Amino acid sequence: MVTTRANGASISIDRLEKRFGAVRAVDGVSIDIAAGEFLALLGPSGSGKTTVLMSIAGFDFPSDGRILIDGADCTYTPANHRNLGMVFQRYTLFPHLSVLDNVAFPLKMRGLAKAERHARAAEALATVRLAGYGDRRPAQLSGGQQQRVALARAIVYRPRVLLMDEPLSALDKNLREEMQLEIKRLHSQLGITVVFVTHDQGEALTMADRVAVLKDGRVQQIGPARDLYERPATLFTAGFIGEMNFLPCDAAAVGDTIEVRVGTAGRWTLPAGVAVDPLAPGERALLAIRPERVTLAETGASNVVPARVGDIVYAGAALLVIGTAEDGTELRARLPGAADLRSLKPGDTVGFHFPAEAILLYRAGPAR
Amino acid sequence: MTAAARPRLRFLSSDGRRIGTAATMLLLAPFFALLIFAFLYPLGRLLAVSVLEPTPTIDNYVRVVGNPVYAKVLLRTLWISGLVTLLALVLAYPVAFVMTRVRGVVAAFVTACVLLPFWSSVLARTAAWAVLLQREGVANTLLQWLGITDAPVRLLYTEGAVVVAMTHVLLPFMILPIYGALRNIPPDYMRAAALLGAGRGRAFLEVMLPLSLPGVASGSILVFLTALGFFVTPSLLGSPQEMMIATLISQQIREVLDWPFAAALVGVLTLVVSLIALAFSKAVRFDRLMRAEA
Amino acid sequence: MRGRLDPSTLMLNAAVYAVLAFIVLPIITIVPMSFGENNYLEFPPTGFTFAWYAEYFGDRRWQAATMLSLQVAVLTAIAASVIGTMATYAMVRGARGLGSLFQVLLIGPIIVPHIALAVGLYLFFQTIGLAGTLPGFVIAHTVLALPFVVFTVAAAMSRVDADLEAAAMSCGASRFTAFRLVTLPLILPNVLSGALFAFIISFDEPVVSFFLTGIRDKTLPRRMFDDIEQNLTPIIPAIAVLLTLLSVAILLGAYVLRTRAERTGLASADD
Repeated sequence: MVTTRANGASISIDRLEKRFGAVRAVDGVSIDIAAGEFLALLGPSGSGKTTVLMSIAGFDFPSDGRILIDGADCTYTPANHRNLGMVFQRYTLFPHLSVLDNVAFPLKMRGLAKAERHARAAEALATVRLAGYGDRRPAQLSGGQQQRVALARAIVYRPRVLLMDEPLSALDKNLREEMQLEIKRLHSQLGITVVFVTHDQGEALTMADRVAVLKDGRVQQIGPARDLYERPATLFTAGFIGEMNFLPCDAAAVGDTIEVRVGTAGRWTLPAGVAVDPLAPGERALLAIRPERVTLAETGASNVVPARVGDIVYAGAALLVIGTAEDGTELRARLPGAADLRSLKPGDTVGFHFPAEAILLYRAGPAR
Repeated sequence: MTAAARPRLRFLSSDGRRIGTAATMLLLAPFFALLIFAFLYPLGRLLAVSVLEPTPTIDNYVRVVGNPVYAKVLLRTLWISGLVTLLALVLAYPVAFVMTRVRGVVAAFVTACVLLPFWSSVLARTAAWAVLLQREGVANTLLQWLGITDAPVRLLYTEGAVVVAMTHVLLPFMILPIYGALRNIPPDYMRAAALLGAGRGRAFLEVMLPLSLPGVASGSILVFLTALGFFVTPSLLGSPQEMMIATLISQQIREVLDWPFAAALVGVLTLVVSLIALAFSKAVRFDRLMRAEA
Repeated sequence: MRGRLDPSTLMLNAAVYAVLAFIVLPIITIVPMSFGENNYLEFPPTGFTFAWYAEYFGDRRWQAATMLSLQVAVLTAIAASVIGTMATYAMVRGARGLGSLFQVLLIGPIIVPHIALAVGLYLFFQTIGLAGTLPGFVIAHTVLALPFVVFTVAAAMSRVDADLEAAAMSCGASRFTAFRLVTLPLILPNVLSGALFAFIISFDEPVVSFFLTGIRDKTLPRRMFDDIEQNLTPIIPAIAVLLTLLSVAILLGAYVLRTRAERTGLASADD
């Protein structure tokens, strides 16, 4: 689902490294971004995602590695010569200028005459649906409106890349969803390359063509949302994206099929493809499954873990059943709201059924 | 770009939130140059004179402390400064206290009164006191009217005149820090004390007073240190037999022309002031302003 | 707690008013004294005349002293605000490292008694021929005024979002252009009020001027000092009144600048 239009520039991040003394904020990151692609850099704080963005922007010069934009080496080009658009976390509009002058500012830097500056700035404001707000001051606008002005300012000079540093984290939830759609719309309309930093995985999954998950300065996985969600490549990604149940087990035999011993739930035979990490017989492993793939069944059947029900949470569209297995692991099952639970109540013992096709198997231990 | 190009770039250029080292040094150069040329060096040279002239010796300092005349000047300076500080504290605290309690027009009036001294030069105020303390001046008239004295008393050119006038000049410097400290005490503390059974007097003594001590400390240090080196008021209102150290320094330079000795006096004064300031450096909060994260 | 009329509150209020009277009355007596007819100072004054004001404006030497003080003050204001703003910007936005040295040098002129600095500068300037000269006065007063300029400008700079210049740079501005078009307009009120403080500090400064003054070129405070010592006439209160009016005007100007700054442009972008 990558849109490739001529308006975007390709970006190549080549073995980027950023060291602060002994700390490696970015540790060998390589990503190739296609022209016109919407890429999200996703990760917890300290993962290095902002540093990568700042290196692309030219605000941070890396310790090693290169940044290529449309094939040209820009690693040490000063930020103001890179002709990129940037939107910051806290809008960063110039408080002493009017909205129109804010948006026209980049055009002023490029030497355009006043009349033309103002005309194009007005156009950009119309694009973000703020036509007519030009005379106001930033302080008179709401958070969402200010962020849209920041967007207008970032695209008014038609850059080929738009960089966004957690631009929606300062907005409240409803506004955030509205702005997400706004940004997506802008992206399809303009066809520029977008690099979007966020710590909110829901945001990344809904907005981006591809998502790069970062942790401790390294890329854990990069790919379309569906791949990340359905087949996370590392334990970290599995736990970071969406909700996931993790059940400790032992790999008993590994071959065409994999046999695992799950506590007191017996031995399960699983297709070899469920193993994401290569496993050796006898190794400790973690069984992972999404809560919405779990169903309730009679205890004793195959692929069923008995658990004592702790809580049943009704949330309109879904029912969340939280239970505790015998080894103490908390398990969650998300069922359709209309499911008939046959008067199940907290304290009862029920079976959590793990369908084989939905299981993922990871090596237990610290994630890489 | 090669690895060799990188270090040069770091020095010259900026990276986003901070400007490069070269630019930083360039911008700071005039500041450091001025302070080194017109502050550190002159002071240092003066202190050098105090130990190097006419021959390398510490005699000048020995004279300062050893000679009873000059030793008395030092002690008198400490004594007067201490007295001024104490007086200022006693007068300032009630004013600062009431300032936290008034609102509206009354508050504006009180603030204007407290800040009024800042709008008139210290020379003007000293001149005013010279007139008020004359033989036929208001102060004498008042004393006689109140029945405290029968005839005009010599008030001017006495230690007392210096103390009163200096207290007058330095009072705002005591009021403002105490007011600042009192203002920062959350009103809940006094309410809590009341709830726990303390009467107003006890609550004040046990809660408010201790919490205001940082302000009292800063104000006192400020007033004391300023008073030690005060020149204008003691020179104009004091008597030549009862000098403070600043007047003595002036006399040594302009009349006696004994530079090394004057330099030693300056050295002693600066040393005492610096030591006290250092010891109480926690009370001086200038570093907070500079802590802005870029 | 307001409105209680018990004895302790009454006594407290009475004490406070007494202290306020102590502060205010001596200063206020200067005004009527400046109109007295006799050529010695008395309170209350006899007669009423503007003669002393006239003498101040007419006397060649008073005017020369005033001119000198004005020139020194203006140059000090310019020097202190430029050097101080540059230094503050470098400290807030610049490479780290010189922080503690800067702070020590900054509060030095405040802690060290003016007389120590005055004597030291006098000695030094004598040997290089700067004593009693315009540049000499300006250098000395700039040192005294710098800390106050730095505090005032630093207060403004700490309120300016560090990312604003980065945003301007992402729009294509060089660092200097970003400073000129974005940061400077936002700190300008504080830079100007810092300059006004520097002006007042220089204009009223008695101690350093006292020692640096030559025989002919006296600053206004130095002349006032001499006259108070030797020839105290009502011209001194007259000059004091004029100086007070000037100070009030300048401090009001600085106050207006600072409150205007808080209202326009420095409101942060969160809501």
